[in-house]
Amino acid sequence: PGPFRPSRRDQPDPSASERELHEGGEYRAVAVGEPSPEFAGNAVRTAKYSALTFLPRNLFEQFRRLSYVYFLAITVLNQLPQVAVFGRGASVLPLAFVLFVTAVKDAYEDIRRHRSDRRENNRLAAVLAPQTAGEYLPKKWKHIRVGDVVRVASNETLPADMVLLATSDPTGLAHVQTVNLDGETNLKTRYAKQETQLSFSHDGHVAGMLHCERPNRNIYGFQANLEIDGKRVSLGPSNIVLRGCELKNTTWAIGVVVYAGKETKVMLNNSGPPSKRSRLETQLNRETVILSIMLIGMCITASVLAGIWLLNHQRELEFTQFFREKDYTTGKNYNYYGIGMQIFVTFLMAVIVYQVIIPISLYISMELVRLGQAYFMGADNDLYDESSRSRFQCRALNINEDLGQIKYVFSDKTGTLTENKMEFMCASIHGVDYSSGKPACGSSVVVDDLLWTPKMAVRTDPQLLKLLNNDSSNEEAKLVLEFFLALAACNTIVPLVLDTRDPKQKLIDYQGESPDEQALAYAAASYGIVLVERTSGYVVIDVLGDRQRFDILGLHEFDSDRKRMSVIVGCPDKTVKLYVKGADSSMFGIINKSLELDNVRATEAHLHKYSSLGLRTLVVGMRELSQPEFEEWQLAYEKASTAVLGRGNLLRSIAANVECNIHILGASGIEDKLQDGVPEAIESLRQAGMKVWILTGDKQETAISIGYSCKLLTNDMTQIVINNNSKESCKRSLEEALARTKEHRVASSIGSPYPVLASESSGTVLALIVDGNSLVYILETELQEELFKVATECSVVLCCRVAPLQKAGIVALIKNRTDDMTLAIGDGANDVSMIQMADVGVGINGQEGGQAVMASDFSMGQFRFLVPLLLVHGHWNYQRMGYMILYNFYKNATFVLVLFWYVLYTSFTLTTAITEWSSLLYTVLYTSLPTIVVGILDKDLSKSTLLAYPKLYGSGQRNEKYNLNLFVLNMLEALWQSLVVFYIPYFAYRQSTIGMSSLGDLWALASVIVVNMQLAMDIIRWNWIIHVFVWGTIAATVICLFVIDSIWVLPGYGAIYHIMGQGLFWLLLLIIVVTAMVPHFAIKAFSEHFVPSDIQIGREIEKFEALNQVLSVDSYYQ
Amino acid sequence: MNSGDAAGSSSGGSGDAGAPRRASRKPKYSKFTQQELPACKPILTPKWVISVFLLVGVIFVPIGVASLLASNKVVEIVDRYDDACVPSNVTNKLAYIQNSTISKTCRRTLKVPKDMKQPIFVYYQLNNFYQNHRRYVKSRNDQQLRDASKANETTLCDPEKTRDGMAIVPCGLIAWSTFNDTYTFQHNTNNLSIDKTDISWKSDRDHKFGSDVFPKNFQKGPLIGGKTLNESIPLSEQEDLIVWMRTAALPTFRKLYGRIYVDLKENDTITVTLDNNYNTYSFDGKKSLVLSTSTWLGGKNDFLGLAYLTVGGLCFFLAFAFTLLYLIKPRLVAYKLSYTNRIKFHR
Repeated sequence: PGPFRPSRRDQPDPSASERELHEGGEYRAVAVGEPSPEFAGNAVRTAKYSALTFLPRNLFEQFRRLSYVYFLAITVLNQLPQVAVFGRGASVLPLAFVLFVTAVKDAYEDIRRHRSDRRENNRLAAVLAPQTAGEYLPKKWKHIRVGDVVRVASNETLPADMVLLATSDPTGLAHVQTVNLDGETNLKTRYAKQETQLSFSHDGHVAGMLHCERPNRNIYGFQANLEIDGKRVSLGPSNIVLRGCELKNTTWAIGVVVYAGKETKVMLNNSGPPSKRSRLETQLNRETVILSIMLIGMCITASVLAGIWLLNHQRELEFTQFFREKDYTTGKNYNYYGIGMQIFVTFLMAVIVYQVIIPISLYISMELVRLGQAYFMGADNDLYDESSRSRFQCRALNINEDLGQIKYVFSDKTGTLTENKMEFMCASIHGVDYSSGKPACGSSVVVDDLLWTPKMAVRTDPQLLKLLNNDSSNEEAKLVLEFFLALAACNTIVPLVLDTRDPKQKLIDYQGESPDEQALAYAAASYGIVLVERTSGYVVIDVLGDRQRFDILGLHEFDSDRKRMSVIVGCPDKTVKLYVKGADSSMFGIINKSLELDNVRATEAHLHKYSSLGLRTLVVGMRELSQPEFEEWQLAYEKASTAVLGRGNLLRSIAANVECNIHILGASGIEDKLQDGVPEAIESLRQAGMKVWILTGDKQETAISIGYSCKLLTNDMTQIVINNNSKESCKRSLEEALARTKEHRVASSIGSPYPVLASESSGTVLALIVDGNSLVYILETELQEELFKVATECSVVLCCRVAPLQKAGIVALIKNRTDDMTLAIGDGANDVSMIQMADVGVGINGQEGGQAVMASDFSMGQFRFLVPLLLVHGHWNYQRMGYMILYNFYKNATFVLVLFWYVLYTSFTLTTAITEWSSLLYTVLYTSLPTIVVGILDKDLSKSTLLAYPKLYGSGQRNEKYNLNLFVLNMLEALWQSLVVFYIPYFAYRQSTIGMSSLGDLWALASVIVVNMQLAMDIIRWNWIIHVFVWGTIAATVICLFVIDSIWVLPGYGAIYHIMGQGLFWLLLLIIVVTAMVPHFAIKAFSEHFVPSDIQIGREIEKFEALNQVLSVDSYYQ
Repeated sequence: MNSGDAAGSSSGGSGDAGAPRRASRKPKYSKFTQQELPACKPILTPKWVISVFLLVGVIFVPIGVASLLASNKVVEIVDRYDDACVPSNVTNKLAYIQNSTISKTCRRTLKVPKDMKQPIFVYYQLNNFYQNHRRYVKSRNDQQLRDASKANETTLCDPEKTRDGMAIVPCGLIAWSTFNDTYTFQHNTNNLSIDKTDISWKSDRDHKFGSDVFPKNFQKGPLIGGKTLNESIPLSEQEDLIVWMRTAALPTFRKLYGRIYVDLKENDTITVTLDNNYNTYSFDGKKSLVLSTSTWLGGKNDFLGLAYLTVGGLCFFLAFAFTLLYLIKPRLVAYKLSYTNRIKFHR
């Protein structure tokens, strides 16, 4: 231990933390090395079912959908003998089929989970055998218990959440990769406490009592203390390694299991994103209600008419041969209970017969279509990001079609618009700006005859280099050195030494959680101050060729309240220094301005300059601590860091106490590079009619400059800035802004006939810039209404310095007040709330870890993929799904109406001429497959057209493919077509010998052909797969009819053979199909030519532009 | 279905992620995965629209004319006899028809309006008889009809299932109510033989009605529904029953009674002697005797020809109307080529 290693005073207050734990009543005591059966074992179970529970549980899960309950009720109804319409077996079939398919899928998934569970549970880990000293025996993961001491080797996966006791590194350092946990690929450092490390190296084992909090989901938090040799050692998040992580760059590590199995943090976090429902699915409910009303109407009509018929024929029933009321063996009425009852029974039967009007197959079709769409989105080469090797991922399978209706895009800035790969650009040191960077070769360090080179070199300022290297005695040079020392020491970066091909060369890779810190550490290295080694107690820094060791006496981590971090360093010259770095706003508050006003002013000016260049700025400061000051701090720090509960607050207040009277060293400017294609992507989105809002935690200047660089802001825009510190002033500026927007609208609407497009057409556009401080006074108060009004008038909105929850608040502001669809895109933990709030959440696989991706509905590698995602896939998904839903309603309505017309000629007794098997197969087989295939494969326009004309996206925003009008039109077509299908054969076969089964076959076949022709007419792109399915389905229907009529026990035996032998049948089929399609064809021909939609024009361009390239555009406009 | 599962298994701790793979995970390129399969994309250009309508017209009008001609060739004699065959002094027709002691022979004279070529089909036609009534159409058992060993199988046959505890063969309302009026014909003065064989479907005789199944306990109840079957003839040869059991689709229907293989001349008279047994009086049913020739299209049926002519004509009209529209308001396809400028804006 160095001279400043705090001598551990005996127990500051031994009972304090103990009491804290007891008071909460929320702790668990773990004896190290003694497996305790009291807590959950390490066996995990992600599978939902076992062989025994599968059936009941799976059925229960499935019947949570209301529609299934409806179908079940109908099936049960059909089992009543009085009401039975279909045979028992036949009626159960469709529901059973749907349930079966889903159950098979669930079972398959569950078997996979079982397998992975088994594999996982049976993995082996080296566990310390109890009552032995240092003997590690292999044990299956599932047998590991809390309290076991486990030894993990490099590249092995950790079997449970463990507190590190010792590692191969003498300082107790271990590196873990948490990619399975949060998606972050960089290494994280974890420490074993010196006490346990020492104890282990002495005795070969560790004994003690560990008190830790109860299992919870917080991956980034852990509080515990360990009693070892009568001492109490505090443990924090940096001492725990979690299940699912892999040990890296560490030969071995030993830890004690504190949470096992289902209580591990990874398992507690193992829940999917919140389930969202798509807009179309919500709208579909309205149509379902309309259809239910139609259904009830038809049932009432049929049953009332049946009642009237019975009333009129009441006295004839006994002797009428086809009714014969009485059963003479009993002398009683058979199956006749009076007119009232008969009406009721008829009503129930009608419900059973006509139930298909609410399509059961639609739900399963939608699932399948979404699966197919998700597959194609994932397989799209254009959505694959080579740099992060990430594919597009559909994490939520039920909102694909929402991608085609987005109106508002809320984007995070850092990591989303920008790459989040920071590059140090310039520095202002002691009031002097050094910003003329030149590419440098970087500097290397010689360690044990090996050359260590930092992985990245930054551009260095020659003047600064000269200053550093030449006259190190001069005061200015000392300050510069301090500045770079602060950059190198005041961080949480871990230098990893990697081998290169040249055995004499090693690479230093700075691993850390903050890309800003990485950039600063590389910058310091380029100027010759190279961070070489970091342990929990000290850092080794190569200062211009001279290796020095600095003791890290304390570290106050960055938090979003303070917006700064600091370290207390014991320097080789026995002084104690506090280095602080942080955001300018937080730093200027703690700077001792009285001493060096000029310096502060100059730095402020430079900061302003940097941020207007779009750079991220940090201010660095330091203070030398006097001995009493240090001791006072040390006492408080020790006390706070051994506390188990409330430690965070304690540490924060200590940090606030010590971070004062700072002497400013300088400021740094880091470039946050824009991702590829961001300006173009934003331009496309805006052309597509979407409003792009940027929500960032950066300060106003940075936000504005990024706004300019991604072309969201342009010079001809009028900016409205709302940046206030009180509610009143916020109110005032909002009112002013509102007045300005009104003014603006009046002015521009004179020139333009389209009010909505006024802002687009009249040169000037409004941009609103709101700052997080003002949002505090606006969101969730009555002022947010005003903000909404202003914001919707502006075409660009930038929100800066916003907190994560404010991001969600802004999304909610739009989502709750309009019907427009919102999309939030982000990459960091701070975007999670916004991603979950928006209708569609998109996560970027970026540097900031995987939390955004975990919370998102879709994830991808780059911001610019938003364009193909929305404009191409979203558009396709929406138009496919919209069409498919309408078509399903239409086709079932057609069929049900055909059945209904027949009932008018059976004295209203719900006989169906079409066999029950055909009725049931109609939705399952005869008409379902083509719609699914079309829903997956058809595209209205090609990718290139959609990308070239972003305005085509408007079709989804305006609900053009699914709305009430289209529904009504479809229902009218269903009405017409059912009349044609029913009445043409009716009139042709009136007064003939036609049998029920024969006519039923004709009706069934004609319905199937007509609805499939309707689909065929609406298909836009015929590829071979679609051909196969559409024509194949008709062929399959014919085959099914033949098969059904070949079963001798059914009354229809042979019917299809006889009717197909007649010329009349074929002539009828032809005229039915043509007559049914004429209106649809005429309407289509008319509307496509005389009131073409944008999409129609796009299709024509696509098809004919290539042909007509020779002709100039003007010749089309004579 | 459960989207959470997919997310859970991919992100969870079930440890199948392994070490990061260095190889590119770029999806394989194929025309299928990129949704770029070669496809045909039809567009309704004026040329297409007009040609389709014209084509339909050109096909449909001749078919319509041919159908009408065929229908007009059919000679049909329809004679409704249910009222006429009840003596005019009977007031209660139902009691009359139910009284089995009265002889119900009735004589009708038919005049041949035009030459009729053989074969001449003899049908009986019933109006208002709902053979498709749900209660009726279900009341049969096909197993019993085919298989002698299943004679006791009478499920669904209610309310005509058993007689004194014995299964009725054939059971059910349909068989019970088989039509039982009979016709004999005299052409001028000669007897006209009527061929009653092969009036039912061969498939029914061969596979649906057993050749070893004989009627039992049939028509023994207090209410006689219709024809009584000869218990020594197997069901497969009871052709009237087989015809009757092919239930008609609509409440007005004809059933084949037999064929006459004699050519009839215009103004010939045919005398029909019929037994008016079948009760249609209880429900206002009508009974008619029909003699008809046949063509490739079947019997007399003007509707099909008229329908074809109408639809064909309509298509000609639409072709004409669209031509006019296209001329009045021409829009060269893709006239909005400079799309970005001219694209229309909604709302």
